[in-house]
Amino acid sequence: MPDPPERLLERVATLAADLGPALAPIGQLELLRSITAAARELFDAAACSLALLDEAQETLTFHVASGAGAQEVVGQRVPVDRGIAGWVVSSGQPVAVADVARDPRFAAEVAEATGYVPRSVLAMPLQTERDMLGVIELLDQRDDAPAGRRDMELLGLFANQAALAIEASRVFSSLGQALFKAVGLAAAGDRDLASALDELARHAPDPAAELAELAGAFARLGQVGPAERAAATRLVREFLAYATGDRRLP
Amino acid sequence: MKPAWSWQFEAGRLALAPALALPSPITADWAWAGSTGAGVRVAVVDSGVDAGHPAVGQVAGAVALTYDPDAPDQVRAADGPHEDLFGHGTACAGIIRSLAPEAELYSVRVLGARLTGKGTVFAAGLRWAIANRMQVVNLSLSTGKRDYFAVFHELVDEAYFAKVMLVCAVNNVAGPTYPSQYASVFSVAANEATDPYRYDYNPAPPVEFGAPGIDIEVPWLGGSTIKATGNSFAAPHIAGLVARILGKHPGLTPFQVKTILLALASNAAPPGGPDSDRHLLVR
Repeated sequence: MPDPPERLLERVATLAADLGPALAPIGQLELLRSITAAARELFDAAACSLALLDEAQETLTFHVASGAGAQEVVGQRVPVDRGIAGWVVSSGQPVAVADVARDPRFAAEVAEATGYVPRSVLAMPLQTERDMLGVIELLDQRDDAPAGRRDMELLGLFANQAALAIEASRVFSSLGQALFKAVGLAAAGDRDLASALDELARHAPDPAAELAELAGAFARLGQVGPAERAAATRLVREFLAYATGDRRLP
Repeated sequence: MKPAWSWQFEAGRLALAPALALPSPITADWAWAGSTGAGVRVAVVDSGVDAGHPAVGQVAGAVALTYDPDAPDQVRAADGPHEDLFGHGTACAGIIRSLAPEAELYSVRVLGARLTGKGTVFAAGLRWAIANRMQVVNLSLSTGKRDYFAVFHELVDEAYFAKVMLVCAVNNVAGPTYPSQYASVFSVAANEATDPYRYDYNPAPPVEFGAPGIDIEVPWLGGSTIKATGNSFAAPHIAGLVARILGKHPGLTPFQVKTILLALASNAAPPGGPDSDRHLLVR
């Protein structure tokens, strides 16, 4: 016997929430891979790797790498209070070291983990004005690399783009998940979408909770009259302009 | 390899910095010659300082600050010696020491095992430095989080009025970063120089000073030295010079110290010379 419609809806919502991130137009991992491959090519480095902070903000995990030692470095975890990558995410400052082997602790740790000790490292934080996300590292750039002496500045611009893309992809997938979960909740119980979103906001960690709460408010807005909706839209735009300091928005 | 913002200090790009028509010019002899920075309290707000490193020498005091949601103001302070987590604080301390060998160095460690609450701890480190009457504070770290705009703005103003010189490395992010972004701090990026006394004043800020920070030899962990590049190594060069100036002229205000630094910058217009107002044309 087929599932009753509300049960079916609930199951579809659960499935979509789980599959969403994997089926998004560009998955996070694919995005990261393309970033490191492009950076390695652009800056003519022997290797490029990218590590992201975990949720507790205690560990950096290398998610992707391209070039020498790439296979070994993926999956490596380093605490944020050690090493060059740790300093970069902690301080928010990029750093380039020409001869890492002279830092005895660093050299030993890296060699043990990857079997490849680079000569030089250029490490750049991946951050937006909202959060520190991780670090991108270039190993052993060729001295006569095309970008040349402005590498650090250019990699900074590149890292900025990468960080914004990572952030956008995260927000997109968390919002999608929150919406689908709420549909599931609403279908399973006898409540409307707005209260299901509220319920989700109460139990989700930030910032998913904030997104769910916001979505709940929008769901309610959808049910009020057009004049109220217009007023609310105006308010949100005004607030956004104020919060971002961008006076051109409204 | 060049850090962001250092392009404006490239030869040929840097305009002359305006000269003051003083009855007698400010000279290096008058400003810092003979000074060792003795009696000047300099804080390195960073990853800790390795007091055992030969390039650092004695550390006069140390405090490690960590985030703790249950502590008052969410920050816990542990006085006493600590290790340098990364080597970076030691690098900054060593650079300051090379310019101001007798300055009193204090290590304010604000980085730790997790990034949660980092901005809060960082701000607490600055607050500690002001409360403990530091005269120079080296900040080779920054936060780009807008949430901290107001907190740092308030602290930076407090430091300015207490005559605490905040020397801040600017970073690579396109948006604003705190506290290097405020006008009263000494914001520093790397220039191409290797001579520690060859620094520049940028007549077109926000970044005001350029100092050595490209491929320079700096102290690191375990008594080692490494060759590194970053605006974070440029800032301590200015911090060291400021300590020397204050060693000879105690009680100066931040704007007086900036005036001295500008007058002795390598791109300063010759005082009273035909070029002294050339900056007006160049911009």
